[in-house]
Amino acid sequence: MSRLGMVIDLKRCIGCNACTVACKQENGTPEGIHFARVVTQEVGTYPQTKRTFLPTLCNHCSDAPCASACPTGATYIRLDGIVMVNHELCIGCRACNVACPYMNRHFIEHGLLKHGYSTDGISPMEAIKFADYDEGTNIKCTLCAHRIDQGLEPACVVTCPTDARIFGDWEEENGKLQRLVKEREGWALLPEYDTKPNVYYLDA
Amino acid sequence: MATQELLIAPHRFAVGYHRQSFWNWLIGTAFFLGGLGGGLFLVSLLTGHVAGMIAGFLIVVVGKNTAHLLFLGRPERFLAAARRPDRSWIARGIWAMGVFMVTGSVTILLQAHAPFLHLSAFAANAFFALATLSALFIACYDGFLMRSSAGVAFWRTLLLPLLLFMYASLGGITLSLTIRELRGEIPPAGLESLEHGLLVANCLLLAIYFYRMSRSLPAARATLGEWLRGTYARAFFGLVLLVGLMATLLLSLLHSTLQTSVLVVLIAACELVGDFSMMMLMLKSGLFGQHIAPAYSRATTFDRPSFPASVRMP
Repeated sequence: MSRLGMVIDLKRCIGCNACTVACKQENGTPEGIHFARVVTQEVGTYPQTKRTFLPTLCNHCSDAPCASACPTGATYIRLDGIVMVNHELCIGCRACNVACPYMNRHFIEHGLLKHGYSTDGISPMEAIKFADYDEGTNIKCTLCAHRIDQGLEPACVVTCPTDARIFGDWEEENGKLQRLVKEREGWALLPEYDTKPNVYYLDA
Repeated sequence: MATQELLIAPHRFAVGYHRQSFWNWLIGTAFFLGGLGGGLFLVSLLTGHVAGMIAGFLIVVVGKNTAHLLFLGRPERFLAAARRPDRSWIARGIWAMGVFMVTGSVTILLQAHAPFLHLSAFAANAFFALATLSALFIACYDGFLMRSSAGVAFWRTLLLPLLLFMYASLGGITLSLTIRELRGEIPPAGLESLEHGLLVANCLLLAIYFYRMSRSLPAARATLGEWLRGTYARAFFGLVLLVGLMATLLLSLLHSTLQTSVLVVLIAACELVGDFSMMMLMLKSGLFGQHIAPAYSRATTFDRPSFPASVRMP
């Protein structure tokens, strides 16, 4: 049994948003929907200010509240821990959107798939990618399950120029994820919501 | 507690709280009608008032279901929502609705002494019991549904289903009294007193709710701030408290000396405005937690208390 996840090293992240773009390209998400995003924050008081970057994605929680909330079973957890959505079962009730404390669930409004990012309708790439989506249903980060099933790593991990995203298996004995979190006292976002996330962060 | 400056993130790439916007006025209307209709049916069933039962039944079956179906992204698939009653409150609601539609209609026919319906006493009692239980479930399951939505801290308390049930009961009693008044019927003894009691109880329950939230997660405390002195303060104090509870209580007390239909309709209008406003406020004010690294959590103007390693849902 495996439990796939990620550790993100904030010391390495430079806030370039290459992961955001790579994810957008790999998954062809509609306008306004970003599975991977980098939350920026200005900290300190002038003149001692700086910007911090916090890359976020679906945490693929072991106790995923979105899976518990789903009345149809459209949201489910794979054996390897990836939380997936079967859009053919989704009724668009948005219970999962409200259940996710991390706001990593995205609802495709009606009409959203009829136009792309350009002003001339949908591009050929968008037409191919949008075929995987249904209006009125929910989508989310799949940890690039289609790439993982081919032995590849998620697009955001591969693209990161500083290797800030480290992908692996939490169940691996003495695996790199466990080692990193222990050595550098990694932490998870919003632990008080008790969802058992599988994405951890290392302080800058 | 130091004054906190609420930071609402302008977009998802910025730090700050994010408002819940997935459940909007349409689902809020469905929740409101479910509570109101369920409460009215329950009160009317227990007091043997057929007109009230019919009104409550229609509010739930037509009003709530229509609003709920209109809200769904894929309404043609709504029956699939019945698949997981073991873990989803929406699925349980679908099953309860099915039971209610059958048993509620049969119970109405029995109470109205429909000549074509002949059931044994056992069967009649069974339908009565199931109709009561399903109406009770419909009146309060929305609260449990919201409470189970882990993302919005302001809803994560058992006080929420209790509050929504109290409002459902209050709405049911008020509407029942209104229907009886308009039909020239005398209400059963004690129903008006129960209404007064519920109005006072709801005030107290709101106070307890706020106290509970003042000791909850940061997002819950931030929402409470919005209710009491922020974006939603006017709506809360004006519509929920003043109109929905205090005006309703005063007018209702006045009714004992000045018994006119106009006053009764006014009482119902005030109560419904307060009830609906409360539901909408609950939905619109919900905040998701901030995506913020602990190292920088004091870099904003917030006071961020330290939490234990895991915080259990109340």
